[in-house]
Amino acid sequence: MSDSRTRLRNVMLTLGVGAIVAVLLALVEGNGGAKLNDTLALFAIWGIAALSLNLVNGTTGILSLGHHGFMLIGGYVTSLLIVPADVRERIASQARSDMTPFTLSLSVENAFNAVGLQALTTPETLWVRFLVALLVGGFVAMIFGLIVGIPSLRLKGDYLAIVTFGFGEIIRLSASTSLFSPFTNGALGFAGVPNDFGKSIWWTFAILGLTLFVMTKIKFSSFGRALQGIREDEIAAEAMGVNLARSKVLAFAISAFFAGIAGGLWVSYLSAARLDFFLFFLTFFFLVAISVGGTGSYTGVLMGVAVVVFVQQYGDPLEKTYGLPVWFGVIGSLILIAAAGGWLYRKTRRMRPVLHPLVVVLGLIGLGTLLFAIFGQNSPALDGTFQAFGMRRILLAVLLIVIMAFRPEGIMSRAEFSWAWALRERKDQPSDEERAQDAWLSNPDLNRGSATSSEDPLPASLTAEDAPNAVPFLERGTKPDPDEPRYGEGRDWQPEQDDEEEGR
Amino acid sequence: MSMLSVRNLNKSFGGLQATTNLSFDVEPGEIVSVIGPNGAGKTTLFNLITGVYTPDSGSIELEGRSLVGMRPNQVVDAGIARTFQNLRLFTNLSVLDNVLIPQHHQLKVPWWQAVLRTPSYRKAEAHMHDVAMEKLAFFGPRLMSFRLHQPVYVLSYANRRRTEMARAMATGAKMLLLDEPSAGMNPKETAEITQIIRRMRDEGGYTILLVEHKMNLVGEISDRVVVLDYGQKIAEGSYKDVVNDEKVLEAYLGKRADDDASEEVEL
Repeated sequence: MSDSRTRLRNVMLTLGVGAIVAVLLALVEGNGGAKLNDTLALFAIWGIAALSLNLVNGTTGILSLGHHGFMLIGGYVTSLLIVPADVRERIASQARSDMTPFTLSLSVENAFNAVGLQALTTPETLWVRFLVALLVGGFVAMIFGLIVGIPSLRLKGDYLAIVTFGFGEIIRLSASTSLFSPFTNGALGFAGVPNDFGKSIWWTFAILGLTLFVMTKIKFSSFGRALQGIREDEIAAEAMGVNLARSKVLAFAISAFFAGIAGGLWVSYLSAARLDFFLFFLTFFFLVAISVGGTGSYTGVLMGVAVVVFVQQYGDPLEKTYGLPVWFGVIGSLILIAAAGGWLYRKTRRMRPVLHPLVVVLGLIGLGTLLFAIFGQNSPALDGTFQAFGMRRILLAVLLIVIMAFRPEGIMSRAEFSWAWALRERKDQPSDEERAQDAWLSNPDLNRGSATSSEDPLPASLTAEDAPNAVPFLERGTKPDPDEPRYGEGRDWQPEQDDEEEGR
Repeated sequence: MSMLSVRNLNKSFGGLQATTNLSFDVEPGEIVSVIGPNGAGKTTLFNLITGVYTPDSGSIELEGRSLVGMRPNQVVDAGIARTFQNLRLFTNLSVLDNVLIPQHHQLKVPWWQAVLRTPSYRKAEAHMHDVAMEKLAFFGPRLMSFRLHQPVYVLSYANRRRTEMARAMATGAKMLLLDEPSAGMNPKETAEITQIIRRMRDEGGYTILLVEHKMNLVGEISDRVVVLDYGQKIAEGSYKDVVNDEKVLEAYLGKRADDDASEEVEL
């Protein structure tokens, strides 16, 4: 298939999936209920933030821990520009407010009035003002991103991570100082930010789609390749002409811009801007999402965000108070499941003995705990209750540990979802002809004449027929066997032949 | 005017004098080899030329333009690219990406046009692709079909060396510094790489400065050889002259013992 036809097919498939997502969103909006609606909006907002963090963390390979700072800037700028007039009057009447008449007059509405765009100041056109406020918030965050990007020119690795963390905290803490409180309303923040935008799955998903589009296009452009080169080997990238300073600062700025937009949506989602909405935990959630999904893979990061948001939104049952028998039952079942997983793992990997002592001990402990929970319900030892406070975050942290231990590169590693991958088109696998040619090239004895004496360049296309001597070589082992799995393909799992030995 | 001219180059690390008053020239279209025992300062010389280190004193000029104080990427802009002794490829990226990244510094199209995939960006991208294929063609078809899309970490050692040389060529530099291009290669591959280095000069028009330990490779392709020992140039000239030079033999094999001492040291 030609290049342009492949591209057309991919665009059509992507649009098709987009249409399906739109239909699903419409169904959710109609019948899904407020909780599901909120969860999807939260997924989109955090998705935007995690994708933008991934540009710096995953693609450029700079560990940045100050993302909540950029979100805070975007969030506060957006709220300052968008809070309606009645909220401004309330703020002005508060005794503790530091807002000056000048800063109170900073709003998109007033700006539109000043330039004579009265048509855009009606309640129906709130979305125009919101988009303007989001963009301005993004740009202000971008300026701060440039400022943070500058130390990144001199620092590397852990040291830079500490600096970015410090920067995030400085932004958060200085927002309540007297220098900035005329703009941020100090510790009071802004209550009453309209939530038409942050709770609307249409707007949040549209901006998420736009972010995903920009990020993946950057990744697969020349600039993105240069950023990945910096991630792989900074010294080599510089020796190949990549301007480290320019690339890193630009990556920081683009990342901060989208973080600012995510911050604006986040404030709107919560209907308020307060300093404690922008704690380091936000960045932690995004880092978990990136690590789980795959560092450097944008589609993987969205999977990670889905996991994090699910735990965050539907994890309430984890933190309730339950009687001890319930806890013992759950823990016993988990241990039993782990033991069963270990047994299955050993069996599929054909490791012996399948009933490893560890598996047996784990299974017995799990079974014992479960039985104790069931039959010991009336015993005084199980009378009490227990509340697992903070279990959601513990669960996320445990998830992070498990991923780091068993698949440190994340679910998707660095790869992106692509239609070529979904349709099993692989360009990195040799055809039979290429395989024969490769065998011919890699066996020096089969070259006609030696490479030192031949003046002509190596032949461009060779088959086994071109080199009759190559045939015995091919038969010795490199000739592709149609029954054998091809290079790079996963070996299908086959049932074990010797089941009778299994019984012990 | 000579391509590269190095004059009175000095660099010390603490008390260690890595290069001392080093001076030599490379003419356009020449293949010049730098040889010397381990620790003679060959790689330091490369690092000085490519801007990784700043010399304490002395001058480095490319076609009359001083390279001292430039960042490594500015040296590439000026027209010198290098390979590394211990392979510094972008391991997780494909062969094609590895050969496209060095062309990024010549791209004139801003990044936002790349996001929108404007016609001018598409044209530049297609051109970069053509250049990559042209440079990989120096090494025959082995990197050009399915290997193009394989990550570098699955390649054999020899193929990685080839990819790195193609990557250096793709920067668009006029002059290449090759740091041990045949390290880790078998005799057959070494013979092939010798041919390729010659073709890089003859067909590609590159001026080549190389560091190498394999003397048959050096002897076969070098127009001139510069010998370093303890950071000083001890000999310069054609390969035949240099290998018979007393000082060079001494540096490589040790000083000939005095007649009376030789009686005491018996092997």
